[in-house]
Amino acid sequence: MQCELLYQPVSTMAQIRLNAGEQFLVEPGAMIGMSANMDMRTGLASSNQGGGGLLGKLATAAGRMLTGESFFQNTYTAQNGPGELLLAHTLPGDMAMLEVGQQGLKLQSTAFVASTTGVNIQAEFGGAKTFFASEGLFLISATAQRAGEHLLVGAFGGIQEFQCDGSLVIDTGHLVAWDANLSFNVTKAAGGWISSYLSGEGLVCKFNGQGRIWMQTRNPQEYGTLIGSLLPPRTN
Amino acid sequence: MHYEIRQRPNFSIALVTFDAPGEELVVEAAAMVAKDSALVMKTSMRGGLLGAAKRKMLGGESLFQNTFTASKAGETIWVAPAAEGDMLAFDMDGVQPVYISSGNYIASSPDIVLDSSFQGGKGFFSGTSLFMLEAKGRGPLFIGSYGGIHPIQVGPEGYIVDNYHIVAFTGGLQYNVKRVGGMKSMFLGGEGLVCHFHGQGTVWVATRGAAALARFINPFRPTEGKSKSGGLLDMVS
Repeated sequence: MQCELLYQPVSTMAQIRLNAGEQFLVEPGAMIGMSANMDMRTGLASSNQGGGGLLGKLATAAGRMLTGESFFQNTYTAQNGPGELLLAHTLPGDMAMLEVGQQGLKLQSTAFVASTTGVNIQAEFGGAKTFFASEGLFLISATAQRAGEHLLVGAFGGIQEFQCDGSLVIDTGHLVAWDANLSFNVTKAAGGWISSYLSGEGLVCKFNGQGRIWMQTRNPQEYGTLIGSLLPPRTN
Repeated sequence: MHYEIRQRPNFSIALVTFDAPGEELVVEAAAMVAKDSALVMKTSMRGGLLGAAKRKMLGGESLFQNTFTASKAGETIWVAPAAEGDMLAFDMDGVQPVYISSGNYIASSPDIVLDSSFQGGKGFFSGTSLFMLEAKGRGPLFIGSYGGIHPIQVGPEGYIVDNYHIVAFTGGLQYNVKRVGGMKSMFLGGEGLVCHFHGQGTVWVATRGAAALARFINPFRPTEGKSKSGGLLDMVS
């Protein structure tokens, strides 16, 4: 699998090149175009670690639905030779190809666009306090058995990578992904609920440890609120 | 005339420079950004009332178009689309037409004739519009779209494009609408119907859709008869 990111950073599209027989798992709706030899199948978004039978598959798929991802996932296979796949997410913003690595990655659920077939995707409870955040109660946990497995993520705005050395606070609406070895908890931005609300920061994610964090430079909820409030009311 | 496209891909604008007096550029209404004051503008319904009305109703273009005429060499005009997005300039050879998705036409040489082209059941079933704009003739053609515009060279093996992302394609291509991955994909896989292009030519796709952004923002609109959002605490802020 080779990936080239084009039209960065606002209208980013991923041009994926697959070798003959290679597969790629893609979130429904993300495909813009593909070479004619690509085969597409829709299946339950199941854990690729096998086992569990139908029940296990259903559980994984249901977990994905909790994260806001689709219950179903499309598998693209390059048949009879190399193939090409053009992928993008819907909001204006950048994309990045992240290696899952030994420690695994955690994702804010809407960031997922695609992955190599060796990546195991699971829904994970983000802690009770995330319930109050608009970003949702569940996170995606991505793990891989071997090196070289990748995730394609999409963001709103630019993607800024930085290193957490010790401890760090980030607005939950700006999170894209982070190394799974970082510990985190979602907490109020200020001492009390009212001052947290008034600060406009609401909930933040407090990270501890050593690892990388990818943030999006704009918050989709804030953007939606900004534009939405300028529009006439809707009736339903 | 010669031209260049600047500020790609998100805020693209075309700068057109005329090489001789009497040269003309036809520009979609409201697409002119700036021009030399000596350029003469004439507003007309190209193709007469019937032709213009047909283009507007069926091809999504405006009823009127403006023709700018140079009074001397070196005069310039800037044209741009409405949405934040890319532009492409294509030199038409007088042989092959170009088909443009509704609303993406920006400007063209006066030697290019625009007409609406019925896409038949294909357009209806693929979710692309029933009609596309057909450009025939010779000279530069300017097209704009929301997002980036990505060219795909289609060879004998063909290429598959999601119908909602088509910006334009050259006349050497044919397409048919087909299903990918069976019925399950159609209803559950979020892709369903795609356009399978074959022949020899270029298809241009947009990397984002304005409709998708609008769908994202829509739920944030206030609900009628209710307070905006947070209720009590909103009064404080």
